[in-house]
Amino acid sequence: MKRRMFLLAGLVLPLLIGISFAQESRHFYNVDSEKRIEGIIREINMEPRYRGSAPFLVIKLESLDTHTVYNVEISPAWFFAMDVHKGEDMEVLGSFYQSDRREPGIIAREIRFRGETFLLRDKHGFPNWRGGQKGRKGHRRGKKIKK
Amino acid sequence: MTKKNFLFFYIPLTGFLIIFFVFSFLNRAYIQGRVKALVDEQLLATAGILKVHFSRLLEAEYAPDEIFALFPEEEDIYYMALLDESGKLLGWRSRFEGYLPLTDEMIGERRSWIIESPVGRIFNAITSFSLSGEKKYYLYLGYSLKNLEEMMAHSRNNFYLILALIFGVGVLFSIGLYRFQLNYVEKKRELDEEKKEKKRYQEISALTSGVAHEIKNPLNSLALLFEWLHKRAAPGTGEKIAYGKEEIRKISKIVDQFSTALKPIDLHKETFSLTEIISEARSSIDISSREKDVNIRFPQNDDIVMSADKGLIRQAVLNLISNATEASGRGEVKIRAEKVKGRTVLSIQDFGRGMTEDEKKHIFEPFFSTKTSGMGIGLYIVKKIIDAHQGKIRVESEWGKGTTVIVEIPGG
Repeated sequence: MKRRMFLLAGLVLPLLIGISFAQESRHFYNVDSEKRIEGIIREINMEPRYRGSAPFLVIKLESLDTHTVYNVEISPAWFFAMDVHKGEDMEVLGSFYQSDRREPGIIAREIRFRGETFLLRDKHGFPNWRGGQKGRKGHRRGKKIKK
Repeated sequence: MTKKNFLFFYIPLTGFLIIFFVFSFLNRAYIQGRVKALVDEQLLATAGILKVHFSRLLEAEYAPDEIFALFPEEEDIYYMALLDESGKLLGWRSRFEGYLPLTDEMIGERRSWIIESPVGRIFNAITSFSLSGEKKYYLYLGYSLKNLEEMMAHSRNNFYLILALIFGVGVLFSIGLYRFQLNYVEKKRELDEEKKEKKRYQEISALTSGVAHEIKNPLNSLALLFEWLHKRAAPGTGEKIAYGKEEIRKISKIVDQFSTALKPIDLHKETFSLTEIISEARSSIDISSREKDVNIRFPQNDDIVMSADKGLIRQAVLNLISNATEASGRGEVKIRAEKVKGRTVLSIQDFGRGMTEDEKKHIFEPFFSTKTSGMGIGLYIVKKIIDAHQGKIRVESEWGKGTTVIVEIPGG
C-alpha cells in the first residue's frame, strides 16, 4: 500500500504539472557509429523528430554503392536554408542507426551539397542551431561554413 | 627615476603582487576543487534519488520511455538515459535534439566526468542499480554546471578586480612614497647647504669683524692726526688736508657698515606705530627725494601698531624707502601698510626700470647692487632684520614697469 502511494505521488505530480517531454526519435547522435554516405536524394520530407522542436528536414538518400536507402535527418527546416531537389547528389557524414520498422537512418553532422560543406552539429553531436559553433566565421542559418 | 629608485620602490610591490597572486590562485584552486567535489557529491546524490524512482517504476513494469515521460523537465538536467547491463540504450531524453554524448567506453568503471559543450561544461555521471538484486541497469545523467561556472567566473572577476585595485593602490602608494623620499632628500640637501653656508658665514663674520676692528683703531688715530694737522696747516694746504679727512671719514663709514652688517641681531621688542615710523622715514629723506623730483605717497590714516624692534624696523623702512626713491628716478613711490590675518604687511612700490629675473635672484645677497653708488648691503641688512623677526620679504618686479618690495612680519 505504502509503495503504491509512493508511486502514485511520483507519477501524478509531474502529470499535473504538465511538463514532460520525450523525443519522437528513439535515436541519439552516437559518435561511435559515424558513417559517410554518398548518394542521390530520392525523397524530401518534413517530419517532427523531437518534441518541442520545429519539423525537421528529412530526406531519403539512396547510396551510390549499395543502393541502400537511408533516412537522413538534416536539421530543423529553418536552419538549412537551401532548396533541395530530388535527384541531386549529396554526401552525408553522420551517426548511423538501424531502425526496426523503417529504413536505416543517419543523423547528419556534415553535408556536402552542390560543392559546399555544411556543418549541422559539432563532433559530439551538439546541434549548431542550439548555439553550437558560435562565433565561427560565416556562420549563419544554413549557410556554408567551410568548403 | 633612477634604476636604483625603481628597484627600491617597485620590487617590493611586484613581490607583494606575485605573493598575492600565487596565494589567491592556490586558494581559489583549492576552493574550486572543494566546490567541484561538493557538486560531484550533490549530483551523485541526485542520481541516487532518481535511481530509486527508476527502480521502483521498472519494478512496476513501466517501459523506459514511459518513465522518462513521467519526469518533469529540470532546467539543469540536460540529458538522461537508461541502459541495461550490456550497455544497450533502453530510453533517453535530451534538451538538445539528438544530443547525448555517450560512447561505449564511458560505460564501465567510470563514475563521473565533465565535458565541454557549446552551452558550457556538463557534469556527466553513470551509476548502476539493480532490481531486487537481479537485473542491473545504468542511469546516465548530464547536469549543467552553468551556475557553478557563473560562480567561478564571478570569483575570477573579483580576483582580477582586487588584483587591479591592489596594483593601482600600490603604484599610487609607491609614487607617493617616492615623492616623499625625493622631498626629504631635497630638504636634507637644503639643510646641509644652509648649515655649511651658516658655518662659512660665521667664519667670514669673525674674520671680517676682526679686520674691521683692527682697521678702526689706526683709522681713529689717523683721523685725530689729520684733525691736528688741519689746525696747524700751512696756508694753501688746508684744502688738501680736509680732502684727506673726508676720505678717512668715508673709510670709517664703510667699516661701520660692515660691522653693522656682520653683527648678530639682538631683538628688543616694543609696541610702536609703524605709521609713525614710515612718516618719520619719509620726512628724513624728503629733501633728497624732492631733489630727485620723486613724490613719496603714503595715503594712509589708519594707525598700524606692531610689536617689534623699533630701531631695526626704522632702519629697514628707511633703507627700503631710500632704495625705492633712488630706483624711481623721476616719478613716485607708493607706500602701503596694513594688517592681514594677524601679520603686518608693508609694501613699497617704485616705478623705476624694474629688475631682471637674475637681479631678483641676487637682490638680497651682500655686495650686490644695481646702482652705481653704494656697497649693496642695504637690502641684505633689511632681509637680516626681517628674518630676525621671523618675517618674510619678497620682490615683485617687472622690467620697465617698476618694483614692489613686500614685507610681512608676524604678530602686531
